[in-house]
Amino acid sequence: MNRTGVKIGVYVCHCGINIAATVDVEAVRAFAATLNNVAVARHFQFLCSAPGQEMIKKDVRELGLNRVVVASCSPRMHEIAFQGVLADTGLNPYYLDMANIREQCSWITSDTAQATEKAKRLIGGAVARVALQEPLQGRQVPVIPKALVVGGGIAGIQAALSIADAGYHVYLVEREPSIGGRMAQLDRTFPTLDCSACILIPKMVAVERHPNITLLSYSEVVKVSGYVGNFKVRVKKKPRYVEPGACTGCDECARVCPVEVLSEFDMGQGKRRAIYRPFAQAVPSAFVIDKRKSPCKLACPAHVKVQGYIGLIGQGKLKEALDLIREELPFPSVCGRVCLRPCENECERKQVDESLAIAALKRFAADHVSNEGPPVPVRRTKKEKVAIIGSGPTGIAAAYDLVRMGYGVTVFEAAPVAGGMLALGIPDYRLPREVLQKEIDRVRALGVEIKTNTPVGQTLTIPDLFKQGSGAIFIAIGAQQSHRLPIPGSELEGTLAGLSFLRDIKMGKRVKLGQRVLVFGGGNVALDCARSAVRLGAQEVRIACPESRETMPADPSEIKQGEEEGIVIHPSRTLAGLLGYDNRVAGADCLNVLRIMFDEEGHLKLETVPASAHVLPADTVIFATGQAPELGVVSGVQGLTITERNTIAADPDTLATGVPGLFAGGDVVTMAGSVIEAIASGKKAAVSIDRYLQGRDLREGRTEEPVKSADFKVVIPPGTQTAPKQIMPELPLKDRQGNFKEVALGFTREMAVAEAKRCLNCAVCSECHQCEAVCLPKCIHHALKEEEVDLEVGAIAIATGHDFFHAPLLPQYNYGHFPNIIESMEFERLCSATGPTGGKIVLADGRVPRSIAIIHCVGSRDYHANTYCSRVCCMHALKQAYLVKEKTGAQVYELYTDIRASGKGYEEFYERVQREGVLFIHGRGAEVIMQGDQLVVKAEETGLGRPITLPVDLVILSTGMTPRKDSEQVARIFGITCDHHRFFMESHLKLRPFHSNTDGIFLAGTCQAPRDIPDTIAHANASAAEILSLLARGKVAIEPLVAEINPELCSACPACICVCPYQAISLNGKGKRVAEVNEALCKGCGACAASCPSGAITVKHFTDRQVFAQIEGILAGTESRSKP
Amino acid sequence: MTGHFEPRIVGFLCNWCAYTGADLAGTSRLKYAPNVDIIRVMCSGRVDPTFILKAFQLGADGVLICGCHPGDCHYSGGNYKAARRIAILKKLLKQFGIEPERLRLDWVSASEGERFASVVNEMTAQIRKLGPLMPTNGPEIAKEEAKEFAESATPG
Repeated sequence: MNRTGVKIGVYVCHCGINIAATVDVEAVRAFAATLNNVAVARHFQFLCSAPGQEMIKKDVRELGLNRVVVASCSPRMHEIAFQGVLADTGLNPYYLDMANIREQCSWITSDTAQATEKAKRLIGGAVARVALQEPLQGRQVPVIPKALVVGGGIAGIQAALSIADAGYHVYLVEREPSIGGRMAQLDRTFPTLDCSACILIPKMVAVERHPNITLLSYSEVVKVSGYVGNFKVRVKKKPRYVEPGACTGCDECARVCPVEVLSEFDMGQGKRRAIYRPFAQAVPSAFVIDKRKSPCKLACPAHVKVQGYIGLIGQGKLKEALDLIREELPFPSVCGRVCLRPCENECERKQVDESLAIAALKRFAADHVSNEGPPVPVRRTKKEKVAIIGSGPTGIAAAYDLVRMGYGVTVFEAAPVAGGMLALGIPDYRLPREVLQKEIDRVRALGVEIKTNTPVGQTLTIPDLFKQGSGAIFIAIGAQQSHRLPIPGSELEGTLAGLSFLRDIKMGKRVKLGQRVLVFGGGNVALDCARSAVRLGAQEVRIACPESRETMPADPSEIKQGEEEGIVIHPSRTLAGLLGYDNRVAGADCLNVLRIMFDEEGHLKLETVPASAHVLPADTVIFATGQAPELGVVSGVQGLTITERNTIAADPDTLATGVPGLFAGGDVVTMAGSVIEAIASGKKAAVSIDRYLQGRDLREGRTEEPVKSADFKVVIPPGTQTAPKQIMPELPLKDRQGNFKEVALGFTREMAVAEAKRCLNCAVCSECHQCEAVCLPKCIHHALKEEEVDLEVGAIAIATGHDFFHAPLLPQYNYGHFPNIIESMEFERLCSATGPTGGKIVLADGRVPRSIAIIHCVGSRDYHANTYCSRVCCMHALKQAYLVKEKTGAQVYELYTDIRASGKGYEEFYERVQREGVLFIHGRGAEVIMQGDQLVVKAEETGLGRPITLPVDLVILSTGMTPRKDSEQVARIFGITCDHHRFFMESHLKLRPFHSNTDGIFLAGTCQAPRDIPDTIAHANASAAEILSLLARGKVAIEPLVAEINPELCSACPACICVCPYQAISLNGKGKRVAEVNEALCKGCGACAASCPSGAITVKHFTDRQVFAQIEGILAGTESRSKP
Repeated sequence: MTGHFEPRIVGFLCNWCAYTGADLAGTSRLKYAPNVDIIRVMCSGRVDPTFILKAFQLGADGVLICGCHPGDCHYSGGNYKAARRIAILKKLLKQFGIEPERLRLDWVSASEGERFASVVNEMTAQIRKLGPLMPTNGPEIAKEEAKEFAESATPG
């Protein structure tokens, strides 16, 4: 059926013989002429030629055509050109459709009949579609006259300079601390043998000085939105921790840094410090601190800088180590002995062998700093006073931090000694009282007043303390009441409560104990009671607990030591009752526990094994089953909430109670926790109290979920050797009887240093602050935070460069297994005057090599690795052979597949290297092995047709260029694509080799494909030229292929809003609520149209009607299944 | 009716990956079955289920939809949307009396000319095996679907 007024011209292209050899163009033309609305149908040899285009224009003018179908190559090839032909005649360019009868027809079959039929169908579809196409107007939008260049290697530097020289502003974003990229690592460049640094560095400096370039080093692009001419870019600026303007590059900081890691710039061959500059000529020249996350510090509730003090101990700087521990912790000696060591659980050294003995090292530092006088009292700078109730670890930790902030601090302690559970609950054989006393004395000496024998709650109350001028009060009374199980017989003579038992021993009271002691409980208090009982002379000591052996909460090392001392453990038991004789305990009725459960309210429920009743003999039973706070202290305080578990309710983030100025922390809030948790709670309270007294927000910045070590990955440095953990020397068993001498004896100096050296420096910077101390311009700031900046640019050049093939992926070369097998970039650093050997080519043992084999194509042109040719390695290998000859005179063998020396001056350089006496072996290196202590390369000499073996001193593996390992993520950020090797995809390999598939984003250098420096410069300048043309045009046309919503049909359901990836659709609020498209944001994907249940959305140029017509046109002639 | 059967397949290819991949197959002169007639859409997420039903209604023996690989969509996630729609549509097709195997969704990147050719060959072979889409078979297939549904809905 003809549509009135529609006159279509159909033009079938021969494309020389590309189409005409397979498709019967005349038959196709004749078929097209019969189609509805077709006014003329012709075929022509090359429609894209000027005469071809002229023919179409003439027909439009003379025959009054108003639609055109061109059946030729892919629309991706010439659609824009033919749209231009229509525009030239005054027709709207969107009245064109193309039938792809070359790429998708004539080239895919040699069957003429089938190809001809297919061409007819495709043209049938196009003719039906074009009849319904509508005129559309492209939009023009202004271009932001700025550019972004991503990557500061030679490609990025060149592109940035070219754009900036033309007068446009450029943001150059570089991920590393310095620009320079791979070229800065090279020694010399082929074929001219220019020193790479000498020709690169002037350009780097030019970037830094250029008024039109803003250099964002140590930064990464994290988000890109917008479109050609109008991109919005978010850049994450990683903190350098060193002020670039102020740093003089004097290097003093690096000299004192205790952390050494492998230098990335030297390809892992040399070392660098945690504060470093990648290379001497870096731009910017400022140092940078490599600060990562450290699992131990994050695992420590008090965030003690574990890696820092371990590094300092490794260097023998014990005083500095102890000072660093004391930044966070008033109790280095105590924690070095009794901490439960959550840090050691997270230690990454476990990936290699065992975790570090962190607590033992802390103890070593604390015990071995000699000649330490009392600390200088802190000057009081703030008028406010703080009262702390309880002198346990929580209270003292809070007092310690508050006094150092300048507050007046008084601690009220009910007991005759300070220290809380540390003083009264932990036996001397684990924590000698003088160790604790020394640390409490230090806190006193800093200015904290500790009043012992001063209970709060009766004669002195909390309201009294407020009245007496305390600005804030912190309740840290712990949980010091022991529970006795409510079972028959629990009040018999011979039953004891665990904590009172321990307390009596610590207070020097005589404790009456029988011969057969049974301790009930599975935690550390149970172990402390049992081991104390052994020391007091009990003959038989048993522990019974409901937990299984594996789930006992006590420290495994405690359990081990207890068993060594003769304690028998009966796991998975519960007590049904105590048996008495003559009103004295005689035994315990036990049941075996099958399962431990908790009911809905969190109460413990035990499922016992039926008929498992049995008796454990005992004349003394000690209950070590939990503890509770004694809350007399808060009697009469209004507004305080006491929980069901008899603890004080406090905000978990701030420790504030319901009463202004009254805070509570530690066990009185959380029930029995560890010492370090108690300390952390005290520190948290100190921050809150300071903020409260200074009138600041208690909550700001404290509610975020803490980072856990599971959230990030630590890379174990390559080449890490196993080293056994140092074993803590212990008091011999025979010496432990009848006394409370300390069991763990502490490390010797040698052991401590050896143990400290096992640290993997996970966080690199250990935050020991030694650098800060020596920095003269005071430009080091460890507290700097990451920043984000938003940029607006009109165009983007991506110049993110390449990585290298990882030689261990080809095991036949034994890279990493034997010494003196290196990758070509490692050789480059070895050869460089600024490299780890100062430019001397030497073997691992320092000898100069006499023979060297260079194996080409490692990881390239290889079906087991990358199939592509990496293009630069042949010349790179020839240059390296030349350098070897020049520097050592050694024999060089080049084992090559083909020498690819195409480029100006390259073939000549190849000849020159041959003349130098380098031996060329045409055959792939098959294997590198060690025979005795001789490296041997096995290969096939294809010229001779036989295998050869070459004994050599050094093997250089010419590893090819690979895409950056995160190229796919980067592609996603920029909305560009990767090819199947993962290099960035160009828009057309021949015609648009530096355009990405996204308008306005261009590719420069090796991120698109391997290329050498001259080609990279050319590629980068090509991208720069394209960007300049865009910026200079000032306006950009946007295709009008956007979605449109028919408000009559829209039911505001918001299906389209949910599927739109660009937030281009919103519900309009005026009158009837309907969805509306923001044309500036719409990209025309059509997801909304496909999802609209009302059929209200059309996508211009891809309307449902147009697609239906195309389907109908294609399928014309088949038996239609439609039933009217 | 002749003994020879040439499947008629309509292909909906996204502009960015699959259509470019199909062009690459041609540029590389790969020979493959010429049975798929390609309609270019901007995104596989644009493929409305009615396009597919229309093609079957108008005589297609099969419908092929190709988009970018998951995660590579030019429009960030259109291919996931296509995948969900097609999964549902496949269930419905049976009720229309159309074997779900006549509808195929696959991923072809711009660099996968070879993959496109083999997808087309597989699809063509598959449809050849199924034979022409005969409306007369419809009630049978629909009946089978109803039976399956009844079985799956029976509480076990």
